[in-house]
Amino acid sequence: MVEIRRRHFLGGMAVGAGVIAAGPRLRFLFASEPEGAGVAAAATTSAPRQVFRTGHSNNCDGACGHLVEVENGHPVMVKAAPWEDTAISGAIAQKFNPRICIRGLSQIQNTYSPDRVKYPYRRVGERGSGKWERISWEEAASTISQKFGAIQDKYGKRSVWIAPYTGSLSLLEGVVGVGFRLASVIGASAGDFEGDNQGDSATPAGWNYVLVDPTNPDNGGGLFDGHEGTDFLNSNLIVLWANNVAETSIPDWRTIVDAKKKGAKLVVVDPRFTPTSAAADLWLPARPGSDTALIDGVINYLITHKAYDEAYLRAYTVAPYLVHPQTKKLLRTTEIGLPGKDDYVVVGADGKPQAVGAADPKSTQLLGTFNVGAMSASTAFQVLADTMAKYTPEHTAALTDLTAEQVNTLASLFASNHPVGIRAGFGLSHWYHGDLTMQALLTLQALGGNIGVHGGGVTTFAGGLTTTAFDLPGWWAPEGTTSFTVLEPMEACDAMLDGKPYPVRAAWFMVDNYAQQMSDRNKVVKALKSLDFLVVSDYVMSATADLADIVLPACTYLEKTDLLSSNNFYLQYMPKIIDPLWESKSDLDAVTLVAQKMGVGQYFDKTADDYLKEILHIGDPEADSNVAGLTWSQLTEGAPHRNTPTIPYVPFFDKSFPTKTGKIEFYVEMLVPFDQAVCDHKEPIEASPTNPLFSKYPLVFLSTHTRFRTHSQYSNLPWLKEINNGGQGFLEINPKDANARGVSDGDVVRVYNDRGVMKVYARLTESIKPGVVNCYQGGWDTVKIKHYIEGHPNNLTHQIANPTQAVVPNFRSNAAYFDCLVQVERVKG
Amino acid sequence: MADGKRWGMVIDQSRCVGCWTCAVACKEINNQPLGFWWNRVLTAPPAPEANAPASDNIDVPAGEFPNLSLAYQPTACQHCQDAPCVKVCPVGATFRRDDGVVLIDYERCIGCRYCIAACPYGVRVFNWGDAKHADEFPVGYAKDYRSDGRLVFTPERPRGVVEKCTMCAELLDAGQEPFCVKQCPAGARVFGDLNDPASEVSKLVNEEGAQRVLDELGTKPDVFYQPAGRRDLTDGSAQSGSGS
Repeated sequence: MVEIRRRHFLGGMAVGAGVIAAGPRLRFLFASEPEGAGVAAAATTSAPRQVFRTGHSNNCDGACGHLVEVENGHPVMVKAAPWEDTAISGAIAQKFNPRICIRGLSQIQNTYSPDRVKYPYRRVGERGSGKWERISWEEAASTISQKFGAIQDKYGKRSVWIAPYTGSLSLLEGVVGVGFRLASVIGASAGDFEGDNQGDSATPAGWNYVLVDPTNPDNGGGLFDGHEGTDFLNSNLIVLWANNVAETSIPDWRTIVDAKKKGAKLVVVDPRFTPTSAAADLWLPARPGSDTALIDGVINYLITHKAYDEAYLRAYTVAPYLVHPQTKKLLRTTEIGLPGKDDYVVVGADGKPQAVGAADPKSTQLLGTFNVGAMSASTAFQVLADTMAKYTPEHTAALTDLTAEQVNTLASLFASNHPVGIRAGFGLSHWYHGDLTMQALLTLQALGGNIGVHGGGVTTFAGGLTTTAFDLPGWWAPEGTTSFTVLEPMEACDAMLDGKPYPVRAAWFMVDNYAQQMSDRNKVVKALKSLDFLVVSDYVMSATADLADIVLPACTYLEKTDLLSSNNFYLQYMPKIIDPLWESKSDLDAVTLVAQKMGVGQYFDKTADDYLKEILHIGDPEADSNVAGLTWSQLTEGAPHRNTPTIPYVPFFDKSFPTKTGKIEFYVEMLVPFDQAVCDHKEPIEASPTNPLFSKYPLVFLSTHTRFRTHSQYSNLPWLKEINNGGQGFLEINPKDANARGVSDGDVVRVYNDRGVMKVYARLTESIKPGVVNCYQGGWDTVKIKHYIEGHPNNLTHQIANPTQAVVPNFRSNAAYFDCLVQVERVKG
Repeated sequence: MADGKRWGMVIDQSRCVGCWTCAVACKEINNQPLGFWWNRVLTAPPAPEANAPASDNIDVPAGEFPNLSLAYQPTACQHCQDAPCVKVCPVGATFRRDDGVVLIDYERCIGCRYCIAACPYGVRVFNWGDAKHADEFPVGYAKDYRSDGRLVFTPERPRGVVEKCTMCAELLDAGQEPFCVKQCPAGARVFGDLNDPASEVSKLVNEEGAQRVLDELGTKPDVFYQPAGRRDLTDGSAQSGSGS
């Protein structure tokens, strides 16, 4: 069969066959019939098609490349696009399969959806009444300028909160987009940027505990990184921990199943029998929130069976470092009178304490408690071993609702396979102690020598937009301005309702459905209703737009110029493929208009292309090594791999860790005040049988993702609704729990706790663990469209933040969506 | 046009995770009306043989928690060698080309629907009324396609005709693979010439045990399935790591 590759396209263009002129701002790649087509087609009268390559940026791990065929001004075909097989530098990269899924293939419907916001609107009824008056962009921009100005004069600059969000993972729009630049220029607050958002910052915080010193300015307040997806082809054992790849990151499934075909074993830890669980060699339906205990059980097995990599632990971790028995901090030479400059302390083969710098790194003691002067100090590894000792297979089984045999099977897989690659889903991050779970996973991987090696690691997200490849500081705060004040989504409601830490009286949401997707939705709606002025830019009339004073029509990815380089290591230029529909504008154009009214238009005087050139430092000999040598034509005519030290990319491939010690710190000094120096399991803040609330609300309430949408995007698209229960939401409940409540399949049930209530149809299924219920989040609860009978899962979730995370400024608060208890009852009649 | 080729497809159920991408891709290239699915993904237990009864009830596993099993069976026209639909068509509208592709001539179909009754795979749909579409303009291939002069694809099928998977005849004839094969994100679909013993599809059928659905009916589909399988890691094999 013909392998379609970019050079064919370009070749086709070079010979000029069928080439037609494209609009001045359209990126024209080639124009053709499908190869060889038309030979047998007698009745072909349609115009030649233009074909564009773009990246699909709508908040999805897939980061798929799309080929979009345009005919008579309409996009008529979206399909998977090829990738370059070389890096920017010209180095051979890898073969990366074209990728797409049902969400990507539905994008024409998304762009032409009847739910689109077509024009700017001003609210004329009560907030949330759905009564609007169409206004001009001119009037909208003037109003925003005037209101923002007046509120900033009265309550301070920071009282305006700009919230560009993950609805788009591209560069100019959304999660690292132009909203931050506006916030800096007008002195506003803003939140937040990639990784540090609603329910996605607990595990990144834990990642920093072990692998990064967040207090070091070089680390910018916290990092988050992962293995390139294709690196799992190098794993002998793959563990998908709370990661339903087959539904949520569909194209990544290819790598997992390819690895499986090569012989890798696949373990899935999930309380639900998902399509991913079904494809596993071993499925472990652990009790939700008990993950750390299961990891601890494995760690204890590895320690008691001496199935750890001694050389790796000595060379790359703090395992041999002594811990001060009183302060619990790592012992320093100055504290015990050892000569020389201040250093950490290890014990040599002779049993004597030595400065790390003076010790033979190959013969330090890993385990043991040693007399150091008048003190008796243990190594960090000994402290870990002592703490883990209680996690026997039996105790672990009791905590996790698994059997001791299952715990042993998992542990023996870790003991006998190398490398082991873990994909940790953001589901793990939706817990109050999600940070601790990541700390435990990294501890486990350190024991097996699985960090900084091909096929290893703990990966949630890779290739993020916060990479040094992009000059974000320069993009966010242009010369002569100061960077915006960060205010997190978890902090914003208190700022609106109670003026803490300072009052927020106005907000501008961009591709951010905060009023539905943020936890503790009743609090969120109350907070938004309390605002003096609310602007929402979106391409559909979302639950958040319902509450706005001004709604602005935004573009979909087909209607704007941008760049996507998230969750993989390819640069995908996103050309404007069609002109913005109706009166929609890109965020860049909308912000520019408002900025001009506010008298700061000089900071928004460039085109999208020029900003991309600036952010990527194209042509700058001092550009970041990731993008060194990149040319504009390379960027716009293909999707090259970034220059990474190794391909597939592996974080810490050089085993250089940006921690205080330069080692993997599974003993986390800065968490001593939180009783979390090692990864000792803690029960969930709410969803635990140890919680007194459990007797009243005995069901753990999950609100997971489905393959049929990305958060609240695409929930109302006709084709997807046809295969998703007509779009009607449902509550997955085990027949045991349903029978106990007199609930039959299809009954309407009321799901409730002290925070709120939702009504939804019950779906009885054996695929969910008894004691756990699940309602797919992201269906709409707007004035016009209701995918649940009443409410949304976030009417039940909470905003209880874990203060431990504050040690990592970039990931300082997290919404623990899944750490939630409810009761379910049948609604009569 | 086929030069002695017999087009066939093998779907690997151990790769398929029921994502429906093939079904939506089919919907896109063929501009299928709302409610129409030439290609559906049935939920089926991962039986050692591929002809286990399939269900429309999406994602519902067999068994009782936690002893469960679940597999998927994407199901479209099976392009049978001895196709019941061809036999029962009173006007010769449904026909099988020399390359094995079963097609419908939309200019000849009289809407009697005998073929729908005859097809054991339930993969044909009928245009009872005027089609309703999600988009205001045709998407996908979006133009007429004729095979030996017969209209076998048109973006807006008229009322009163039956439609189904064409194996993307318009792409095959242009030297390309069916759209579902190219778009499947799991690489679960292998396409090729069953008359060529060296082709991957032939190897999967002849050496790897790919099987037909409802083989006992003798319809001889040219679409085959490789069943999903699971290794048991609790039987001690967990101890023997493959090493690196």
